[in-house]
Amino acid sequence: MLNPFDPQAALLAKHAQHVVLIHFPIALFITGVAFDFVAQRTKRRGLMDAAYYNFLLAAASTVPVLVTGFLAWQFQLEGQKLKGILLLHLVSACASIVMIWMTWWVQFRGRRQGEELPNYRLAMEGMAAILIALTGHLGGFLSGVNGVG
Amino acid sequence: MRVRVCIPRLAVPLLVAAILLFAGARASFVNAQQAPATMEVKIDNFSFGPAAITVPVGTTVAWTNRDDIPHTVVSDDKVFKSKVLDTDEKFSYTFTKPGTYPYFCSVHPKMTGKVIVQ
Repeated sequence: MLNPFDPQAALLAKHAQHVVLIHFPIALFITGVAFDFVAQRTKRRGLMDAAYYNFLLAAASTVPVLVTGFLAWQFQLEGQKLKGILLLHLVSACASIVMIWMTWWVQFRGRRQGEELPNYRLAMEGMAAILIALTGHLGGFLSGVNGVG
Repeated sequence: MRVRVCIPRLAVPLLVAAILLFAGARASFVNAQQAPATMEVKIDNFSFGPAAITVPVGTTVAWTNRDDIPHTVVSDDKVFKSKVLDTDEKFSYTFTKPGTYPYFCSVHPKMTGKVIVQ
């Protein structure tokens, strides 16, 4: 039985890090979208700032997720050519990461230039949230959280 | 003085029959020994079934993924290792040495099984 308070055991558990770390960008990004949608309606500056920092942290946290996902592929599957659900998970994950970074970039550019944020960003954030949900669903399916494993 | 040995007329056919019988019995024995037995292990619902099997040396074990999720079959000491098996894909390995071969799914390390070769 893995002891959750034993850092060495937790870090060396077989590709457990990816399925742990992935929750950070998902939660941060969806929270950011929620803040941004409410900020758009209320025009409150504090909510806009909260949305921006959520997007920033979501984008930053995709880096360790990407690295651990790649390592899981290399170590657990020895870099085999992926197909089926695994390939779909990889492709949708890469697309999700691009969308998260684009969302952050639109926010960053608007803040730096002192302009009002474009409305199309809300559609982009919605699409990104759907894509992230699909990726997470596939990841959960693969990891077996929906099954016995 | 010459001694004449008389072979009964039935001796030759009997001898031939005996040789053929022996040869046939031996061939069928060898075939029975070499017949490649195959054991099936089903992968379903995140488990190997049966999880532990005991087989004689020379048996081929075939794993078939009946799950909707991709799985692999990898022995702990890397004696055998499958590629990622999608639904209905199969992996086989012939055990030529006696021993205990624990294995797992590298995608879901909690999934384990064991082949005991005697």
